[in-house]
Amino acid sequence: MKLMKTLAWAMATTTLVASAAAAADIAVIGGSNDDAFWNKIKKGIDDARPAVEANGGTVNYLRLVNYDNFAPDVVQLIRTAISQDVDGLVIPNWVPEAEDPAIKDAIAAGITVILMNAGGADKAHELGAINYIGNEEYPAGVAGGEYFAKHGQKNVLCVNTLPGATNTEARCKGVADAITAGGGKSTQLPLPTTSFGDATAVAEAIKAELLKDETIDGVITISAGDADSAAIGISQSGRADKVSLASFDMNEAGLARIKAGTQTFAIDQQPYLQGFLSVSVLASAIDFGTSLPTFPVLTGPGIVDASNIEATLVGVEKGAR
Amino acid sequence: MIRNSSVGGLLRRPEAGAFLGLVAVLLFFAVFGGLTFLKPAGMSSWLNVAANLGIIAIPVGLLMIAGELDISVGAMVPFGAMTTAVISGHYGLPIWLGIAVALGFGVLVGLINGYMVIRTAVPSLIVTLGSLFAVQGIVLGLTVLITKSTSVALTVEGPAKAVFGDFILGGQLQTSVGWWLAFTACYIFFVHFSRYGNWIFAMGGDKVSARNAGIPTDRMTILLFVLSSTSASFVGMSQAILYNSAQVAGGQSFIFNAIISVVVGGVLLTGGFGSVVGIFFGTITFAIVNQGIYYTDFDRNWSSLIIGVLLLGAVLMNNTFRKMALSYAPKKGAK
Repeated sequence: MKLMKTLAWAMATTTLVASAAAAADIAVIGGSNDDAFWNKIKKGIDDARPAVEANGGTVNYLRLVNYDNFAPDVVQLIRTAISQDVDGLVIPNWVPEAEDPAIKDAIAAGITVILMNAGGADKAHELGAINYIGNEEYPAGVAGGEYFAKHGQKNVLCVNTLPGATNTEARCKGVADAITAGGGKSTQLPLPTTSFGDATAVAEAIKAELLKDETIDGVITISAGDADSAAIGISQSGRADKVSLASFDMNEAGLARIKAGTQTFAIDQQPYLQGFLSVSVLASAIDFGTSLPTFPVLTGPGIVDASNIEATLVGVEKGAR
Repeated sequence: MIRNSSVGGLLRRPEAGAFLGLVAVLLFFAVFGGLTFLKPAGMSSWLNVAANLGIIAIPVGLLMIAGELDISVGAMVPFGAMTTAVISGHYGLPIWLGIAVALGFGVLVGLINGYMVIRTAVPSLIVTLGSLFAVQGIVLGLTVLITKSTSVALTVEGPAKAVFGDFILGGQLQTSVGWWLAFTACYIFFVHFSRYGNWIFAMGGDKVSARNAGIPTDRMTILLFVLSSTSASFVGMSQAILYNSAQVAGGQSFIFNAIISVVVGGVLLTGGFGSVVGIFFGTITFAIVNQGIYYTDFDRNWSSLIIGVLLLGAVLMNNTFRKMALSYAPKKGAK
């Protein structure tokens, strides 16, 4: 009988310990306080936090102070998280060669890891992370191209002010592939480095292309700032009513144009969802053993156009967009 | 300056080579770019680019004639744009205040550059390299601190928009083209028709002799640095008003492009030789070469190659003419 009692007590304590361990303590590593992008991710984390805390867990957002000593600082934050004995870790894999050993150590220490924002699905598989939650450039381009194709654009110019960079090339290629599939065509306009950062040079280059090829009915830029130049270039070509403007990423001036109707849409990677989903998916995996068959989880592309501009502007005000 | 109105005399003026280079690239693109390139919309395409670059290139060129260099203009363009956007866009204060503060910062940075150069005797390339990075740091740091963003929107209406950031003459030319022409006229007077011009050339030729001859070289150096950084700030300010937005990055291309325009315009890298009109033509040449490409059928991936070859051609042409001009001696009695 005594044996049974001891056994019962042991089982009870084990259950107790196990359930204490099961309430997810989560660490999220992110960019510096000054970085607007990482503040949108913070908004997502903050909105996911109450649910985690309701189940007895905690969420700790560890941020880089600055980017001066980038790779060592990131690795240090991962080590900090391991030493805090967290149950789950959300980590952007910015510098794989530096971070991978630390991430492997975290997984070896029994921490459940999700890659967020940077890294990609292949890397998540390789390291043994349970998922990748973030953006991929090529699908973002495809979404832009499909939007154009669906709205009748047949010849779209993809303005690339950083030709040769992997991410911008992938964006333009995505646009081109989707439009070609929809029966139209898209050419890339690679601008020479002498134009980079000179708004007038970019605007005039776009205007010149529009004057030269009158069949162009859509323009997409690889950054929000270039769309400011493109808007002037299009209006100067005198074809503002026929040429539809879009941009990857968005800024305040771009949102104002979408509201005013002078820009058609913007493609957003939706950082809010990266923070919100990473924390929620990880906590529920640790607490309740759920697993998400969707792998990777892409938070973008999200399209902002006239149909959702009002809600987007509310999001801007609350720091989520 | 020797005035000579004969054809031979005109060809031997410092700006003649620059002018012929300009004509050559204009013809090149008239042939390959076709009619659109020569229509008003096509012409405004390179004039707008030339105007923004030219406002900066002339004072940079004068500094080069005087034997100095200012590369901090690359940071002053976004600084001018961001100052205007933060004051009048983010804080919503009157646009004239934004313009005044932007130009005021231009004067301030110019004073610091000039003072550092004359006091420390460190080459101006290094001094302005320092201020280039310092100002970039200030722009990024302050903008993010104040607005929590690296891009600030700005909406300007009324007279300030019409004067600094709008389109004139059929809605194709930027107002900065008007400013550029006005500034160029002032510089031509200042350099070629007042005594200050000869001072600048003398400083570039031999600074010590110039000072011994009684030229206030220190004050002139500071003045030229103030002109270049204020001009760069001016360009940034008008771009922010025109494009309704300012970014912390960008503007770097102005450093290299301004120096190229100045050299294509016939200014010697070693100083002491050049002209405002030459720089004016050099800037237009550079703008035509850069923008003309978009009117041709060449594959855009080759743009940089064509730009490089054409610019080299223009400079070689210029050099040939300068050699002819400098080695020319009027023939006295044939045979």
